[in-house]
Amino acid sequence: MAENHAERDSVYGLAATPDFLEGGRCYAARASGLYVSADGGRSWRDAYRSLALKTPLTTAAVALAPQTGGEQTVFAGVLGGILRSADSGERWTTATLPSPPPYVIAIAVSPDFEQDGLVFAATIEDGVFRSWDRGTSWAAWNFGLLDLNVYALEISPHFGRDQTLYAGTESGIFCSTNGGRAWREVPFPMEAAPVLSLAISPVFSTDGVLFAGTESSGLFRSDDRGASWVAVRGWEGGAPVNQLLIAESGAGGWGIVALTGSSVRHSTDGGTRWANLPITDLPDAAPTYICAPQGLATGASLLIGLEDGRVIVAETSDSQS
Amino acid sequence: MRPTNSRRLVFQPGSYASLQSGANQIVNAIRPTLGPLPRVVAIDRILDARMPELLDNGGTIAKRIIQVRDMHADVGAMFVRESLWQLQEQEGDGTATAAVLFQSVFNQGVRHVAAGYNARRLQMRLEEAMRVILEELTRMTASVGGKRQLAQVANTVCHDAELSELLGEIFDIMGEYGRLEIREGSGRELEREYVEGMYWEKGLLSRELIRDWTHVRSELENAAVFISDLNLREPEDLLPILVCALQNEQRRLLIIANEISDSAMSLLLANNRKPDEFQALAVRTPGYGVEEQAWFLTDAAMLCGGRPYVREAGDHPRGLRPEHFGQARRVWAGRENFGIIGGRGAPRLLRNHIAELRQTFEGSLDVVYRSKLEKRIGKLLGGSATLRIGGVSEHEIEERKARAERTALAVRGALREGVLPGGGAALLACRPALRARLRRAADDEEAAAYRILIDAVAEPMAALAANAGYDPATAVGKAEEGGPGFGFDVLGGEAVRMAAAGILDPASVQKAAAVTGIASAALALTIDVLVHRSGQPAHASVRPPSKRKRL
Repeated sequence: MAENHAERDSVYGLAATPDFLEGGRCYAARASGLYVSADGGRSWRDAYRSLALKTPLTTAAVALAPQTGGEQTVFAGVLGGILRSADSGERWTTATLPSPPPYVIAIAVSPDFEQDGLVFAATIEDGVFRSWDRGTSWAAWNFGLLDLNVYALEISPHFGRDQTLYAGTESGIFCSTNGGRAWREVPFPMEAAPVLSLAISPVFSTDGVLFAGTESSGLFRSDDRGASWVAVRGWEGGAPVNQLLIAESGAGGWGIVALTGSSVRHSTDGGTRWANLPITDLPDAAPTYICAPQGLATGASLLIGLEDGRVIVAETSDSQS
Repeated sequence: MRPTNSRRLVFQPGSYASLQSGANQIVNAIRPTLGPLPRVVAIDRILDARMPELLDNGGTIAKRIIQVRDMHADVGAMFVRESLWQLQEQEGDGTATAAVLFQSVFNQGVRHVAAGYNARRLQMRLEEAMRVILEELTRMTASVGGKRQLAQVANTVCHDAELSELLGEIFDIMGEYGRLEIREGSGRELEREYVEGMYWEKGLLSRELIRDWTHVRSELENAAVFISDLNLREPEDLLPILVCALQNEQRRLLIIANEISDSAMSLLLANNRKPDEFQALAVRTPGYGVEEQAWFLTDAAMLCGGRPYVREAGDHPRGLRPEHFGQARRVWAGRENFGIIGGRGAPRLLRNHIAELRQTFEGSLDVVYRSKLEKRIGKLLGGSATLRIGGVSEHEIEERKARAERTALAVRGALREGVLPGGGAALLACRPALRARLRRAADDEEAAAYRILIDAVAEPMAALAANAGYDPATAVGKAEEGGPGFGFDVLGGEAVRMAAAGILDPASVQKAAAVTGIASAALALTIDVLVHRSGQPAHASVRPPSKRKRL
């Protein structure tokens, strides 16, 4: 397990390439800016150094574009704009969003980014912005999005085919089935909102499974692409579900990790049974973000961001899966 | 029997003959327009010497025929005209289908009544049999979605590929309630534009409030919104609003009021002198009349939060408190419009409000009221589209604009109620169910009703094939051989599965056409006597059944 003590500010987002331990990169979005590590999270440096900023640029979201080779395209969400780097975070270009400055809270990149060039940014108060030219220009696309306070944005793993993405908001969930150009209400129980986190099954096109984490009403699951929702029975407690993460856990199955205020919980049976993720030496600081670039199979490495700014690297073990 | 103008009453069999004559004249004028290869009807212009109007839309043709020469036949013509016009206003399409259904049912019905069947019982049985058709159409209905399918639906209505593509895209984005403005464009092309947020057709109360003269508008960010229909006639009426905003550090303010007097406006402009410190805009309350303004006040309060100040309730700004202001991320106002982007009202209340409006819309049968509700819902959905229709001549633009409006109405119907196999295939596919009922018919009138409708449901496809130059009986025969869902593709000249070929009709249009054609014909069968008022034909100036204001 590796730790980083360089900065003491909360981690808002993490992103990493699957080979981040062996030559790849990982990125941490924090109150003080964006940090990049090229040695599996052992050491971190300021990713914005080429910008020569005089004051820290709070970064609330970071995302990587899926690509098969070459330099990594990185997106970072800041107050009022989105930064884009086409060379793994060395140099950045800025896309300014319309005034008043929106607060970008999440970024979702199309799985077919190399072909369609689509990127989405969720904001608090200003809805969803959409870029169709690899993040160069952005426009608000909020037709039908009746609640512009978006807390979570999740894109279908088969977006190229189904053009589907979901937005978790203050009052519920909205769905777009035309590539984010228009939104429709999803019949999620309004009294259970706000929805803070969303996660989509890796085999969404066949199982239609979708999870929604709420602020105080627990965890919900839909087996029909959001058409109906039930509270997950095995979920206990009313702690806010700040993040949900679904990834393949080997042998064609998938696991789900839920980040609550103070713990990281894990289920490998579709959310029926949950256990705390047994991470040895988990510091006192609460986890704020989790990233599973290698999936959730046994032995895969996870990145966990903490409220004090540290990022730890943990390994999944048999007991977790 | 030939009725003359000197007679005021016409009895059977003259009344049927007159009704048939008039109805057949109007239906025969509309029949050639059915299908993707329609023929055109030229209508002489009465008021000027311009070239005749060339029409391929049944509803418009019906609308233009305001009188036939024979006053008794005119009763039949106007009967059909009114039914078709209502259908056109309601659904935007389906008039030619309804017309040929009417003709088939009525002409067959007349023969049956002449043969001794009871007209009233036949009417009842026809309406029962019509319900079988509606059930079958409902069973066949499939939902529609996606740009491509919506464009296909649009194309079956307007037969204009470019327009259909754009309408498919627009409705894929906007949805069934989406707000679409169709305007005349300045160029030759079709253009669409999407507008973020909501806007209303009322503008700034003073041109002095315009700050950006390039775009002739002003914008405010993070603005407080005073929502009212008040008449602010004295500076003292406006003062509490300004004081309340300034005391609570609301440096950007949008005032919505029915009227602001010159003296009150002077006060507002005086406070606008230092825009870095404070800037206010004032726009007129949207809506005509108390009811429409009340709707706006409710909608705006849902969108932005705050409390509307209502004239009828005796509200005065003296009682204004900071929490009574609505809030918005951005507002803009020009000379004719103003808009709100990112209202900070409670999203839950807004969603519930829209759900209630939708429920009211679905429960209402009043075309005008439904149209107003649709506009209200569309405004609240957070965006709108504008389609600008270009063309090489004024006539082309007008005609294409009217076609776009009709098609938009039909596509909305398709989004609401789904689609059916087009080209008359859905109606033809009702035949097996009608035949099954015929075998179980309890009396002569019931059997007659099913026989009449078994023939009638093939008529739209037959007319469509005939218009394209094919033998109607062969076309219908080929489609029936194919089985349910098959129709005759007049462009390819063969029987195809219509849904798979992308030939789709809005279910709402098909059902409404079936109801209009069959129920109107059944009702016409019960007409026994025609009575004319003196001074006929004064009904040449007959007013339409709805949308009279438009006339």
